[in-house]
Amino acid sequence: MTFADGLKAAALLFVAAIAQVSIFSQLHVFGGVPQLVLVTLVAVSLLRGAVAGAVAGFFAGLVVDTATLGMLGLTSLVLTVSGYWIGRYGETTGRDRGHAPFLSVAAVTFLYAFGVLLVEFMLGERAPAGPVMRALFPTIVMNLVLTAPVYALVRFLLRPRERADYATEVQLLG
Amino acid sequence: MAVLGSSLQRSKPQPYPSRARSALVRRLVLAVLVVVALGLLTISFRSPTSGILHDAQSYGSAALRPFQVAAVRVARPFRDAYTYVDSLARAKSQNAKLRKMVQDYRSQALLNASAVQQNNDFKRLLRFEAGPQYPKDFRAVNASVLSFPSGAFTQQIVIDAGATSGVHLNTPVVSADGLVGKVTQVGRSTSVVMLLSDPDSAVPARDLKTHVSGLIRHGQGGTLILDRVSKDQVVSKGDWIITRGTVDRRYPDEYPYGIPIGRVVAVGTSDIASFLTVQVQPLADVSSLDAVAALVPKHPRAKP
Repeated sequence: MTFADGLKAAALLFVAAIAQVSIFSQLHVFGGVPQLVLVTLVAVSLLRGAVAGAVAGFFAGLVVDTATLGMLGLTSLVLTVSGYWIGRYGETTGRDRGHAPFLSVAAVTFLYAFGVLLVEFMLGERAPAGPVMRALFPTIVMNLVLTAPVYALVRFLLRPRERADYATEVQLLG
Repeated sequence: MAVLGSSLQRSKPQPYPSRARSALVRRLVLAVLVVVALGLLTISFRSPTSGILHDAQSYGSAALRPFQVAAVRVARPFRDAYTYVDSLARAKSQNAKLRKMVQDYRSQALLNASAVQQNNDFKRLLRFEAGPQYPKDFRAVNASVLSFPSGAFTQQIVIDAGATSGVHLNTPVVSADGLVGKVTQVGRSTSVVMLLSDPDSAVPARDLKTHVSGLIRHGQGGTLILDRVSKDQVVSKGDWIITRGTVDRRYPDEYPYGIPIGRVVAVGTSDIASFLTVQVQPLADVSSLDAVAALVPKHPRAKP
């Protein structure tokens, strides 16, 4: 990942995080809230790999936690792992597949919700599984609606890398 | 054999093959970030309202505030347009209802005005001492809402006013309609407000008509519950619920007397329950707040 790419990704995630806390968090549809920052993170991670995904997740989480005066590190922790995991998927099996962004967004929305629930539970904070479950389906649907435009924008700004640049542990034999 | 005997220069052994090295770097980066996040989480969890990290977060929040304000302003025309269309669709049915309410309130206002006059006379006669009253003994620090509750975990908003505006911990926050919540975290120029809909919120309240006291807690589907009302008390549908205020000077309440909270929409009871189930519809719509006012006492010594 070049320095210019890093700057672009940081700017994208910063804007997404600010929009998330100031605008998107207000859009409640059937209890669900669209998660622009998560969708942007998925796009960046798929296009730039695991390391960039982890760093991007950490940065985005830090911005969200700072802007909301929330528990610092909580969102960073879950988004770092999410970014890394999606990045690995992009580096290995997910690359060049049209359904990869949608599949990743659906999966990571599910895992993010339960990740936050788990961390809250482990900290002894309130962890209401019922409302999270009820809000999960509408949230996934709204995130999937956001996926196509957000992925197209991120793909436009961060051109996909050459195939040889991907770090991979999958090796073709023969 | 000659080849075997010759001193062949071997290439320097690589500590890791390149692929393994990249995997190592990748995992190292993840581990470092996770450890840093856990460190931040631990410090933040142990001292959520003070310490260096809280101060840094407060400065960070102040630095992000212009961006949040800009985002809210950009979104406002779209939100206004939606609200306009939505209100148009409901305007006709609301109009008749509101006309009827205005008539009722007009006659009620006349009765109230004479009651207030009478009350003031009695107070003067009795030399009645009272604590600070809402709203005349409070200065309203008006602030726009910067972020909204984003899910089931938090029923909190961030407002555009902090310690520099005089806001402090537990400052009551109201909207034009009624009580919204109280300040639970104060930054330099932003504050976190715990809404009435938060499961941790508990506001001492009373029925304006019957003077029955209870605790306002969150309920199902955006409603509130007036809890701890014993079965022998009388609460009726349509009664107004307001903040109770300080009852004993030794234990001053965080909320001044008289802030409207909501209206009773249902009263129920069961054989096994110890208390009445009083469902209250809040006056303030916490899901669509644009701006709120933090109530700062005009006289710092005065406690609510």
